[in-house]
This record gives sequence, structure tokens and C-alpha cells, in this order.
Amino acid sequence: MSFLRGGSSAPSGGVNIDKIELAVTELDTVTDFFNRMVQSCHSKCISTRYAEGDLNKGESVCIDRCVAKFNDVQKKVGEKLQSRGAANAASGAGGGFSPI
Amino acid sequence: MDFSNFNGAEQAHMTKVIEKRQMQDFLRLYSNLVEKCFNTCCNDFTSKALSSKEETCIMNCTEKFIKHSERVGARFAEQNAENMNQGGS
Repeated sequence: MSFLRGGSSAPSGGVNIDKIELAVTELDTVTDFFNRMVQSCHSKCISTRYAEGDLNKGESVCIDRCVAKFNDVQKKVGEKLQSRGAANAASGAGGGFSPI
Repeated sequence: MDFSNFNGAEQAHMTKVIEKRQMQDFLRLYSNLVEKCFNTCCNDFTSKALSSKEETCIMNCTEKFIKHSERVGARFAEQNAENMNQGGS
């Protein structure tokens, strides 16, 4: 998921601030993505009866599928945003926002 | 996330950042879970104390969420590994 690259060259042995900031941003993005996935799949798959502490078979299967779908949605939305951004840039239109 | 092109100082810094984030994440998970389980399980305010039914519900809620989170984490890691192998992010 590393779509953030680049950064200026570092002084020898020093800490490259740009690289660090990019890495931290990526870390935050991935963490946020994971947390949203947990919350979404919980509300969709886990019944609120809480009859027992373990996941039953239905819930387990639901979770597996939920994760796969969530991932797919993320890819498709990302592709769509990028292509739309590229189309905007090509047509020279203002508005919208630049692709990541 | 690929940290192979980071030198020692940068890796040490990233490790500290990751640790701090993990702790913050855990605390957020904790407060989220408290709210979620309270909202689902505690609906009877005729008494101040938790009934045994409510207590069982809370215990199950917590355990279930933790197991759920672990499972999502495992699947997520698998998906990530698959993505790395396929496209090369």
C-alpha cells in the first residue's frame, strides 16, 4: 500500500525528515484503515445478542468475507479517485483534488 | 510499509513512533469497547448494580470483540502479503 514515495536526499547519517513524515503518514493511514475495517465488520457480522464469548462459525466466515470485500472496495475506490484525478489534470479543469 | 531503505537513526525513530501509536490505539480501542458493550448490554436502570445477566453480556461482548479483532488482523495481514506479492506496492 506504499503509494507515498520520494523525498529529498538525506545528509549523511542524519535523519531524513521528509522520509520519516511520509512513513508516519502511511502508518497513520494503514492504522486508520484497519480500525475502520474492525468497526465496520463488527457492526455487520457480529450479532448483539452476545450469548457466548466465542465467535461462531457464521460470524467467522462473515468476518473473512467482510475483510476481503473491504479490501476490494478500498482498491476500487482508490483506482476511481486516481483516474478521476488524472482525467481532471489532463483536461486542465480546476476543482476536484490532485491524485495522491 | 517498507523500511529497508531507512538508516539506523531513522529506524529507531520509527520504532518509537510505532510504539507510541500502538499505545494510543490500544487506549482508543479500550474506550470504544466500553461504550459499545455498555450500549448493547446495559438497558435496565431499575438498579444501580450490574445484574448477572448484564455482567455476562459484558464479558461475552468484550471477549467476542477481542477475538473478532484478532481474526480481522490475521485476514488483513494475509491480504497485505497477497497485495505485496501481486502488485508490488
